Amino acid sequence: MKVIRGAVDEMWSIMGQMTSAVFRHGLPLTDKIAARTALTNFVLHIHPVRVRRSWIRMSYTLCLGGLSFFLFIVLTVTGLYLMFYYVPSINHAYQDMRDLQFVVTFGGLIRNMHRWAAHAMVITVWLHMARVFLTGSYKKPREFNWGVGTLLLLITLLLSFTGYLLPWDQLSIWAVTVGTNMAKYAPIAGPYTRYLMLGGHAVGDATLLRFYVMHVVGLPLVGFLLMVVHFWRVRKDGFSGGL
Amino acid sequence: MATEAADRIAARQRVEARRRQLEAPTTVRDDSEDEMIVSFPEFIFKEFIAAVAMTVFLVVVSIFLQAPLLGQANPGVTPNPSKAPWYFLGLQELLSRFPPLMAGVAFPTFVIVLMILVPFLDRNPSRRPSERKVAIILFALYMAIVVALVIIGTFFRGHEFIWDWGWVLGNPQNCGGAAC
Repeated sequence: MKVIRGAVDEMWSIMGQMTSAVFRHGLPLTDKIAARTALTNFVLHIHPVRVRRSWIRMSYTLCLGGLSFFLFIVLTVTGLYLMFYYVPSINHAYQDMRDLQFVVTFGGLIRNMHRWAAHAMVITVWLHMARVFLTGSYKKPREFNWGVGTLLLLITLLLSFTGYLLPWDQLSIWAVTVGTNMAKYAPIAGPYTRYLMLGGHAVGDATLLRFYVMHVVGLPLVGFLLMVVHFWRVRKDGFSGGL
Repeated sequence: MATEAADRIAARQRVEARRRQLEAPTTVRDDSEDEMIVSFPEFIFKEFIAAVAMTVFLVVVSIFLQAPLLGQANPGVTPNPSKAPWYFLGLQELLSRFPPLMAGVAFPTFVIVLMILVPFLDRNPSRRPSERKVAIILFALYMAIVVALVIIGTFFRGHEFIWDWGWVLGNPQNCGGAAC
């Protein structure tokens, strides 16, 4: 009996050690512990330790920047799941989409989530820009971060646009044909730009591969780097706060 | 066992005391909005709630709303009208009205460059809405034009991208190429 009691106590103490190895601080019962938790936790260190209440008022930020970033994470996770089943070739792509919809476990749900999250992200990023404009938050010293944000809006649109082609249905191929035709009209560089995007003169196998590579690697990488700069600048320039 | 329960009760009382302390109106500053608070857990809790709400929203929408998937791509059959994704429909609408060089290249480039330059063009240092009427009116106008163009492109452009009241009249034939 005593041996069992001893073993249980030992197990408790090991589990306690494991918990305190991961979470170095207990419940944030005092401001000091709360501050230290935010400062030393990897996930939380992106936040300032102290904020003015007016900076984080929901009626001021409307959570739009944070939601945009969260949607980017949702899109990354659901996108990974879709990548397991999707081959970017005109012989496979459409059939893979049908399989995702009707055969793969949760395939339809994940694809729907990816699609609607993408639309939602275009909207939240756009509204985030509107909020920042209306509160005049782009003014000194945040001019540079407003520019980074503009580029992030462009990246969001391009990510959405490149993703539009991947299902390889009548909607995607013609939407991308119309979209890339716009590039054609630029003086001198226009036709070359279009050829570079399509990998040919019409939307085809090469286009699908190019859009896929840009959609899953190129643009998310650029977007991620810009986000790192964007968030870092938010911290360095300070939250814009109440008016 | 008994001491463990007592500890738990004591901990809960401390949490309760802290909550009361945080909710109590501060006497240090006259404006509680201006008070500095510790971002963990208040700020992080807000973000967490927003993320959970968005997740629930996405899952519910995704259960009931199917993402569109039409027939397999066929380069030989052009749907009429062919429409760009909705966020580019404003551009497509401009393209149908103005010369392509202007609508497809000059105009979007101008808008992007203008956007990036906004903080340097706006010489007004004030952030109060009442003191930046011009900036806000111009921006509202810009937003209204963009939204109007997207709505027109999505719902009021039918066959050959010609103006179509079909959507209003309950005959959504003009949604051929767009996600609607």
